[in-house]
Amino acid sequence: MPLTRQLVLPVHRTLPWGVVGMAGVAGLLLTALTRTGESAERLSAYLLRAAILAFAVGLAFLLDDPARHTTAAVPTPRPVRIALRVALAAPAAAAWWTAALLLVPPGVRPPVGDITLEAGAACVLAVTGAAAGVRFTEVARPGLPVAGGLLTTAVLVMLFWPGRWALFVPVEDERWAAAHDRWGVVLAGAVILGAVCAVEPLRRRVRF
Amino acid sequence: MTPTVSASGLSLRYGGTRALDDVSLRLTPGVTGLLGPNGAGKTTLLRVLATALPADRGAFTVLGHDPGTARGRQEVRRRLGYLPQTPGFHPDFTAFEFVDYVAILKEMTDRGVRHREVRRVLDEVGLADVRGKRIRKLSGGMRQRVALGAALVGEPGFLVLDEPTVGLDPEQRMRFRELIAGAGEGRTVLLSTHQTEDVAMLCHRVIVMAAGRVRFEGTPAELTARAAGRVWSSTERDPGAKAGWRTGTGTFRNVGAPPPGAELLEPTLEDGYLLTLDDAGAEVAA
Repeated sequence: MPLTRQLVLPVHRTLPWGVVGMAGVAGLLLTALTRTGESAERLSAYLLRAAILAFAVGLAFLLDDPARHTTAAVPTPRPVRIALRVALAAPAAAAWWTAALLLVPPGVRPPVGDITLEAGAACVLAVTGAAAGVRFTEVARPGLPVAGGLLTTAVLVMLFWPGRWALFVPVEDERWAAAHDRWGVVLAGAVILGAVCAVEPLRRRVRF
Repeated sequence: MTPTVSASGLSLRYGGTRALDDVSLRLTPGVTGLLGPNGAGKTTLLRVLATALPADRGAFTVLGHDPGTARGRQEVRRRLGYLPQTPGFHPDFTAFEFVDYVAILKEMTDRGVRHREVRRVLDEVGLADVRGKRIRKLSGGMRQRVALGAALVGEPGFLVLDEPTVGLDPEQRMRFRELIAGAGEGRTVLLSTHQTEDVAMLCHRVIVMAAGRVRFEGTPAELTARAAGRVWSSTERDPGAKAGWRTGTGTFRNVGAPPPGAELLEPTLEDGYLLTLDDAGAEVAA
């Protein structure tokens, strides 16, 4: 524990606050559009989802570490370092999400629990993508390709995902509850995958 | 002498390329040079021995610990210093803050002891005067010394240095040689380099790699001796030579199989290295 406590300040300084901050501002601007008129209010769930995506794109940079190779062989395990980064970013993410929700007029705000589940799943997916980038590549800054992958995946899911497994449904849609059961599965899967990716392998798969 | 590092049968593939092919070696205290052309597998071997990259096959121990287990790897890392080929930094950190950050990651939790150790290594690498300066404002050579300081912090028993002198000017290289020679006193240093003169001046042992395999392991004198009777002088470039170049005196220095009656020259470590690579190339082609 003393080790983690002493790491808090330097790790805090290594986090990509600029990118996360810009993503957060972009997300809040998108959310603020729900206050611009009646038609915008009708689109509030979609605007909120666009804001979530913007913020998640920022979180894809969370594990960018220019000193990755210089600190590749230190005894502090990688899962501890990743967990610390996530823990330091979590209060900022929670504050951002609270602000985003408050920006949406109460009358048109989607069910808070369900939309928070979507936000949580998207953010965890972004960090999991970054963890996979660290786990399976040698790049010190996996953020950009992961952010691109996240955006592309979101667009492809919206366009081509089968209706019976729909994730992005309007609030009034009868599939809303079922869709959020699926969001729960996405969140759980992302958490498990993220935990797997955070661990350093002791051996590679033998391919002889 | 008990080896610091003992490896047998290390193999690793990247796609269809064998980066390491059944590598076995033993490292003892002192500086061991690792020579080889680009793509020989030097960096891969260093990364495996530094526990930054797991091998596909084979086993090794460092300071008596097996990095093939989680506990063993952590024990190894507690006694390891690693300077990668392209060290990265957090540019807004000062030299002191960065080495201090690495020291925390190396589990030095007592702040007073740690700060003394950070000051000691920054003194050792000659950065005492600029320890409060942001890394973004340091020259390339100074940044390299910050990375060496980060590798040295905590008095590691095994130091892995991947081409630390690349891109440095002659004065900086000389300074680095002093540092590496000092670091090699009482600990085991594995130094990857393209500079045969670094090996000749610093190393008590040398390993030559090509195409993922160890082609030579011995002393620098033994590597030099491989070229004995295979270096000669001529007034024209000898077409039968494996390599030949005009020297400053206007004569040609040739390396390979000399013709009868050739004027033989004293070989250098570089000649031995070139001929070892040539022999390895012939072996691969066969």
